[in-house]
Amino acid sequence: MIYWGGNPAECHPRHFTKYSLTQKGKFIPNGRKDRTMVLVDIRETPSAKAADLFLQIRPGKDFEVITALRAIIKDQPVNPKSVAETGLTVEQLQDLVKQMKAARFGIIFFGMGLSMTRGKHMNSAGVLMLAAEMNAFTKFVAMPMRGHGNVTGSDMVMRWSTGYPFGVNLCRGYPRFNPGEYSTVDLLVRGDNDAALILGADPGATMPQPGIDHLARIPTIVLDPKVTHTSRISRVHITTAATGVSAPGTVYRMDEIPLPLRPALKSPYPTDEEVIRRIREAVAKKPAWRPSPNGQMAIV
Amino acid sequence: MNKRFLMNAGRTTKQGQQINVGKDSAEYQAIVNTITMHADDMKEVGIAAGATVRVRSDNGEALFQCKEGKVPPGMIFVPYGPPTCRLMGQTTDGTGMPTSKGWEVEVEPA
Repeated sequence: MIYWGGNPAECHPRHFTKYSLTQKGKFIPNGRKDRTMVLVDIRETPSAKAADLFLQIRPGKDFEVITALRAIIKDQPVNPKSVAETGLTVEQLQDLVKQMKAARFGIIFFGMGLSMTRGKHMNSAGVLMLAAEMNAFTKFVAMPMRGHGNVTGSDMVMRWSTGYPFGVNLCRGYPRFNPGEYSTVDLLVRGDNDAALILGADPGATMPQPGIDHLARIPTIVLDPKVTHTSRISRVHITTAATGVSAPGTVYRMDEIPLPLRPALKSPYPTDEEVIRRIREAVAKKPAWRPSPNGQMAIV
Repeated sequence: MNKRFLMNAGRTTKQGQQINVGKDSAEYQAIVNTITMHADDMKEVGIAAGATVRVRSDNGEALFQCKEGKVPPGMIFVPYGPPTCRLMGQTTDGTGMPTSKGWEVEVEPA
């Protein structure tokens, strides 16, 4: 089991005990004792205490380490000097590969340390290729460690409803996917959109500053149970019930298993779903329009 | 030119708890406005523990409290929050994901 660029001890505190590391299984009767855990990261996080082996690499060198591992598993030569630049030695990587090949079922959990740093999707693609190529020797899979609650749910619903996980443009009436063009951060930083509906997120505390400034310029509508940085800069803030606490719904686990949520409390506020449904109903009553040649809106 | 550090933003348990408690709380504000540096780096730049520092990246600047801690030399750790929004990368390299970690920054006492 390899955690790469993630810190589950702090960010996914139940992952070790409820899911990955200490749980006993049909083929793993002794739980933790039967498993080997390797952590790859650029700093010694609290997760390192739970690891059998901690490999500290230099920042921004993940892709190089992945590429070297992909060569070593196929007995290809690697340049010790290039490997040394990553902060590790060829012997350390060879030892890791030996342990990976000896596993009956290996998994790589990869976190934001890979996907948010230089290289981004190339790092993630490297990990996926590494896991795929390891299947020539033993069963191996890779799974992303997500940053917020139910990011997987958003990806899943977008996937089965549009065919794409994020960055989907529906302006032409059919879905088009182009990250970098239609993805949220890019739209906001470039200032492409002239309105925004924010649902279950607080971009005002997480996105690059030019994107936040753009949200403050345009009519922004926020649905959130609490006052957030985004709701402060929005034109409209509709307080909604907290999903999972006072509103029912479905949450997708990081391994894409859907779990129903039963609310423990009652809320005086409507759910996100109800607000969106009522907005849709109100919009449906309005007459349709199309741009006319003189630049004004023509009612159809 | 001043020494460049690598700033690494991330999540911590306390920061994760506080974003659900409320972002107006003094505790949340203290968490997201505190950076952790290596003791030797702090000495080199001339920063006392608990002092206010100005951190400047290619994209912007922000003020933080500074404490020493267990990070590799040359690296600064900070929990995600509004101050990191001002420093983070603004382009996504065509991926949709901004560079939320690993910026080159300069640090000076404020």
